[in-house]
Amino acid sequence: MNRFVLADPRLCIGCYTCMPACVVVHREAGLQAYPRLTVTHTAHGTMPVQCRHCDDAPCAKVCPVAAITHREGMIFLNETVCIGCKMCAIACPFGAITPHGSGTDSQAIPTIPYLANGEEVTVEATAAARAAAVHPLLAWTAGERSIAVKCDLCHFLPEGPECVRVCPTKALCEVTEADLTREIEGRRQKATAEVGSLPSLWSERQA
Amino acid sequence: MDKVKTVCPYCGTGCGMYLHVKDGKVAEVTADPDHPVSQGELCVKGYFGFHHVADKRRLSTPLAMRNGVFEPLGWDAALNDIAGRLRTIVTESGPDSCAVFVSARATNEDNYAAQKFARAVLGTNNVDHCARLCHASTVAGLAMTLGSGAMTNSIAELGEITDVIFIIGSNTAECHPLIARHVVKAQQRGAKLIVADPRMTEMASKADLWIRTPLGHNIPLTNGMLHVIIKEKLYKPDFVKQHAVGFDDVVRAVEDFSPEAVERMSGIPAKQIVEAARLYAGAGNAAILYAMGVTQFSHGTANVASLSNLAVVTGQIGRPGAGVCPLRGQNNVQGACDLGGLPHVYPGYRPVTDPAVRTHFEQAWGASLSNRVGLKVTEVPHAIEQGKIRALVLFGENPLLSDPDSGELRHALDKLDLLVVADLFMTETARFADYVLPAAGWAEKDGTFTNTERRIQRVRPAVKPPGEARPDWWTFARLGTRMGYTGMGWQTAGEVWDEVRRVVPATFGGISYARIDKQDGLCWPCPDEAHPGTPILHRDGTFMRAGGQALLKAVLFDPKTLPEEKAKQFEAPLAGRIAEHPDAEYPFLLTTGRRVYHYHTGTMTRKSPLLDQIAPEELIELNPEDATALKVANRDFIKITTRRGHIVARAWVTERVPPKTVFGTFHFWEASSNELTSGDTLDPVCGIPEFKISAARVEKSSPAEAAKWLETIRDAYRVSLERATTARRLRPEPRVEESV
Repeated sequence: MNRFVLADPRLCIGCYTCMPACVVVHREAGLQAYPRLTVTHTAHGTMPVQCRHCDDAPCAKVCPVAAITHREGMIFLNETVCIGCKMCAIACPFGAITPHGSGTDSQAIPTIPYLANGEEVTVEATAAARAAAVHPLLAWTAGERSIAVKCDLCHFLPEGPECVRVCPTKALCEVTEADLTREIEGRRQKATAEVGSLPSLWSERQA
Repeated sequence: MDKVKTVCPYCGTGCGMYLHVKDGKVAEVTADPDHPVSQGELCVKGYFGFHHVADKRRLSTPLAMRNGVFEPLGWDAALNDIAGRLRTIVTESGPDSCAVFVSARATNEDNYAAQKFARAVLGTNNVDHCARLCHASTVAGLAMTLGSGAMTNSIAELGEITDVIFIIGSNTAECHPLIARHVVKAQQRGAKLIVADPRMTEMASKADLWIRTPLGHNIPLTNGMLHVIIKEKLYKPDFVKQHAVGFDDVVRAVEDFSPEAVERMSGIPAKQIVEAARLYAGAGNAAILYAMGVTQFSHGTANVASLSNLAVVTGQIGRPGAGVCPLRGQNNVQGACDLGGLPHVYPGYRPVTDPAVRTHFEQAWGASLSNRVGLKVTEVPHAIEQGKIRALVLFGENPLLSDPDSGELRHALDKLDLLVVADLFMTETARFADYVLPAAGWAEKDGTFTNTERRIQRVRPAVKPPGEARPDWWTFARLGTRMGYTGMGWQTAGEVWDEVRRVVPATFGGISYARIDKQDGLCWPCPDEAHPGTPILHRDGTFMRAGGQALLKAVLFDPKTLPEEKAKQFEAPLAGRIAEHPDAEYPFLLTTGRRVYHYHTGTMTRKSPLLDQIAPEELIELNPEDATALKVANRDFIKITTRRGHIVARAWVTERVPPKTVFGTFHFWEASSNELTSGDTLDPVCGIPEFKISAARVEKSSPAEAAKWLETIRDAYRVSLERATTARRLRPEPRVEESV
């Protein structure tokens, strides 16, 4: 079974710490400086949404260049192979894949033009910093081409996903096969105990 | 990499953090695992809000406005010019023609120095700061009823001890994320959460009971709860008898606030009022958390008093986990108040009108002091218009964005003979100044911050300030010396703090740098070095008011007109009403607040790209019902107009706001809600403006209108001036030698 990161809206306070944390570690790893999870507000609660690493991943199936593959217990997206066809974003039932054009830090989430004008110095300063940090294959002109971005479980970090580490309420956790097995086993135990404490349904039939 | 332990510079939670320094720059922030409040966690601003420290736009030399442009000049010339002009103004028009705004963002040492400069050097009590706009109602209200206008308990108690948490008018998850963490911890332990808020905040959606109070209707709710508590005998008669006065007033005041009557007045379901009353009063230990949704009204003090009534009547105060917790907004707004950054009190809340107190400070400071209570922040614009205030010196504060009715304030600032602003950046306010002084920031200076639980903590320099930037205490000390005063010869922040300890021993005497270097801060009062500090105030019902008893106040309310007839039945009651109601011309209500990823006027967070990229622009919350009626889609531009002016910004269509209500922030000068708020409706006790309610008109707008609006507002805020200054600053320039 693939591993994945899942948030609990009962614990999430919508503080957004996970999003820039995600940007920072991926930028340092030479990958797209864009958050791979998105804090989503609804009337029923708030949490960051990210890739579920589906075992039968529709994104991998529709990818025409095999940029998305099943690898080491996760769904892996090779950003240097992606051609930006966006089919994966359409296929994903969770909205967990975002097509994103390479850009400067301050443009990583598109801004309205007039604001970009008001902040000329920021753009200038961060573009230089970015050029030095990014893999040459990814260093195309801002906004010219977009490629898919999605959660990679921070596979390059020995301590695991950065969002899980920085979340102040520990609303995020990495779910592994062992975790899920333990949880399911626990629920079976609980279900058994609950039925065991009820008056017997079968006694009449047996008698 | 060097690692420096310090305190987060953003909200009043006061989280512990390490700054990692590489090549003379802050490279990373990590959490302090041993910190008593943050316990190894930080929020988005704590982790990622540091890039502004090394931003190229930092001010690095004093600037003077000459012929419409800012010219660099050395400290020597700047200090001489400013001292000379202040001296002339004081001679011509008297000391009260000057005002000083201190800073809730700067250290205790900076604030002490600034208010001492105003009082001992200029000779005026015209000292105030933005606490006037946030918790003035608390400082006045809780001081009146409990004897101290500060949070009564420590933050960690919420997570560990409290059984029922009642959050009213606080968007805790966004404005104090690490306090929200303790609330979530409490819920995991089985504690119950009641939230009263017009907006569906994160806390509201986590609540066991969410009461969607209509804007401005806190008193009907709290009085309704008190009505139930008294009728159902859920209060603590022994505690009230022994530890409080005025109970009969409260009984009579809440008599006609039955849950049914409140439901008729406000629409709050009677059932919810009863449930909240039973939950709160019946708890083993209950705590009230509140913030701007209580204080920022023309009846803010009445709101605060009604909450203190609730806590005292039910005995939910004065022990671990039970108390009244005003959540202070800024890193050091508590400290700026504690250190005398208010027009009516010296450091330690000693009244300027008390002759014995004045004599004490006159002796300590070697100067004769004014016995007149000074002007409040909210009174200063009017006083400038009248020609009563000619000079304003402020630092670490950006009133053009943070104060109500920006249009009127811009007009007033232009009328000043002298405006001096010290800050990290060329802020919106600084662009109107005659002199702009470069300040050392939180990562560059020594000192202390006091968090919302009154914990005084050490702030330590990790990097060098840019160019000639200096800590604010240094600036005020040099200015004082140039004006002929000899009582500000400090060489270090530590010397300033030691003076504070000597001058106000009852509050700060025992809090030495040496002690708080060894542990994570101490909560005042702490009179001597053997004293462990005071995490819990009013212990066992011994209140800090003279006489040791709490005061229960009659709190009255009528949304439309002040209940004057009823008020006559009480001795000095507090009464509330709402100034602006929706009408045919302005059918909506505008309410204001903050978002988690930006901080106040954005001076620091909008220059921290990781934060700015999450939210590069204002989004006005608009209910889907209204959006449909206005044919506005999510992210379309809308125009919001009030009696003060208008802004154009994008809409966020969301159920977070109730119908006919819009919510905006003051993070973005491009579309600041304070262009729309009123500076005229002030609380009669504390002078706080009614930020939280303005009648408004909402219309669909267009990208073309938005672009045109931007040009207008850009001129109003003189943005081109910042760009011109910045461009020059980016070129290498001759180093200005300091000869001070």
